[in-house]
Amino acid sequence: MTPERTVRETAGPSRPWGRVSRWAPWLSGAAAGALAVGPGLAPGLVLRYDMVFVPDPPLSEVILGAGSGFPRAVPSDAVVGALGLLLPTDLVQASLLLTIFTLGAAGAARLVPGGAVVPGVAAGLCYVWNPFVAERLLLGQWAMLLGYAGLPWVVAAATRAHRARDLPRLVVSLVPAAVGGFSATVLSALVAVPTTVLRGRAFPRLWRAACPVVLLGSALLVVSLPWLVPALGSDARTDPAAVDAFAARSDTPFGVVGSLFTLGGIWNSHAVPAGYGHPFLAAGRLALALVAVAGWVWLLRRFRPDFGAGLTAAAATGFAVALVGVVEPGRELLRALIEGWPGFGPLRDGQLYVAPLALLQAVGFGGVARWLWGEPARASLNERGAQGEPPMPGVAEGVPFPSARPRRPWARSDAVAGPVAAALLVLAPVVLLPTLAWGAAGRLAPVEYPADWERVRHIVAQDSRPGAVLSLPWSAHRGVDWRADGRTVVVLDPAVKLFERRVVFNDDLRVGAGSGVRVVEGEDPLSRRVAPLLDPERPYEAAPDLPSRLGELGVRYVLVERAAADEITAATGGADHSGKNMFWGDLPGVRTSHHGDDLLLLELPDRHVDAESANLSGLEVTGWLVTVGAIIWSLVVSGSSLVPMRPGRSAGAVSREESFK
Amino acid sequence: MIKVVAACLVGVAMAVGLAFVGTNVAANVGSTTEPVNEPLYNYGDR
Repeated sequence: MTPERTVRETAGPSRPWGRVSRWAPWLSGAAAGALAVGPGLAPGLVLRYDMVFVPDPPLSEVILGAGSGFPRAVPSDAVVGALGLLLPTDLVQASLLLTIFTLGAAGAARLVPGGAVVPGVAAGLCYVWNPFVAERLLLGQWAMLLGYAGLPWVVAAATRAHRARDLPRLVVSLVPAAVGGFSATVLSALVAVPTTVLRGRAFPRLWRAACPVVLLGSALLVVSLPWLVPALGSDARTDPAAVDAFAARSDTPFGVVGSLFTLGGIWNSHAVPAGYGHPFLAAGRLALALVAVAGWVWLLRRFRPDFGAGLTAAAATGFAVALVGVVEPGRELLRALIEGWPGFGPLRDGQLYVAPLALLQAVGFGGVARWLWGEPARASLNERGAQGEPPMPGVAEGVPFPSARPRRPWARSDAVAGPVAAALLVLAPVVLLPTLAWGAAGRLAPVEYPADWERVRHIVAQDSRPGAVLSLPWSAHRGVDWRADGRTVVVLDPAVKLFERRVVFNDDLRVGAGSGVRVVEGEDPLSRRVAPLLDPERPYEAAPDLPSRLGELGVRYVLVERAAADEITAATGGADHSGKNMFWGDLPGVRTSHHGDDLLLLELPDRHVDAESANLSGLEVTGWLVTVGAIIWSLVVSGSSLVPMRPGRSAGAVSREESFK
Repeated sequence: MIKVVAACLVGVAMAVGLAFVGTNVAANVGSTTEPVNEPLYNYGDR
């Protein structure tokens, strides 16, 4: 029996406090998630902007990435579809939202050196209860937030990636990003690359970093294949005008820089929590951010974690990217980059890149709590086994805890006041952002789809002939009030996710700016070809050829959301009967398949429809197989998942095994 | 000694924060504006 084993067994797993400390970050994250999502956990589906879940989500080749548009919802929609085969969709959605909070809190807690419970919980809560999470949640970007939740795990894995046998652990850490898709993977790369290169030293020897970087690149490539392959084959483009529409904006009294530093600054004013900009709370959050950064500096100096330089570089780089779109020269640069290569399109949404800063602040916040909590004497961080904890990942070896302090008259007061202050500090993120609670003050409320939606889906699903569904009104977003409580929720057209087949919709994005509206051109080439046919200036006399023209483009069904169309017609004084909002059901050969209170489904004459089934290419199938196979292989080889396993009976107390051990 | 001061500061700040939240923010939670009855709904407004 090794001395270490002896120590571990002596420390013993039988201590109840050991179990509490093991699960506290997970439990606190889950509690924070339950508090934040609140009413969204009730039966029904939460809809908001990009967050579109439909009952019994389809799992088809289109959902897997077949088609010509940019695969923004790949593979997240496919994962939802797969989970939907096993569980009710509302349970799938609730689980995914809770996973964001639980996984993020537990991951951030692990990065705080020392293993004490309260500092870890403080870091975890700070990481999942902040303006970034609140605003992105209110924008409905759950898939991206899943990748955000995985960032601390990516940091831990990247810190330990030395040789080929570490690859499975790296791949497992990227699973949340793999599910999240494009934006989530970009964020993970932003954090993982500097962490890998700068590991343990500010000025790395590049040749020593080469192997880990190759490993990381391989892992990122493997988990990206489901969306990367169709993206490279798509004819999608990015409108440079999006740079102005999606640049960060000020949502606090401290300007854009201050808003970004406090992890806010999202471009959409409707994605800001209620009362967010109040000077008192904004000042409190600014103070919290400053204290957290100070705590990070203290952690760096005291513990020298191996991920310190990398995470600092990632946070600085992300913050700089977020700031680029704030000034006109920066916007010009971004526009030029995007015009040169659409692949620079992700840089348009600058606020997204403060995510690494959120992780830095969270760990720093945990550091503050760590300092207040006090430090055990006569141990080193790499002897955490003596405390029933696994060795701390990424902490430089031989860094000692400070020796026992000399007795001072106020030492006893400190010993009490410090933990009390640390415990109080844990709640600061919640107190300073109270309106994230309870579904962001009721803005994340579940709804039931009107029965018409299931009926039209059933009708279309019964038809085995290929052909797309054209969704009208010709606008990407809908305002729904299916709870009938007078609170309209803006959401991406749910029809986009409803069918197994391709849905053609107007993917142009309208963004209100000042008194006007800025339109960002969409990415789908088929939508761009359909749009001219729906020109509102087109007279009815010219409409008879509309079915054949649409059929030539592969459209078989036209779905009109009647409430939205009526709303538009009423708003335009009854003058707007154009194809943009309605469709002439009396055109030759057009058949009404369903005429309900909410939806009108028209079928175009079969003779006009020139459509082929949307099939995945061989390369796309290979990409999926490689990704899924690699993830399964990594889970098996690494012997665990992200979820900590219970200690074995013979291991005694301590041996907490986690995936990144 | 410094931790005693820090504990006092944190305690006071939390008490003030909670009092503020209870009296101001909670009362105005429902006042957020959501777009209604627009002919075409925007992805958002800056």
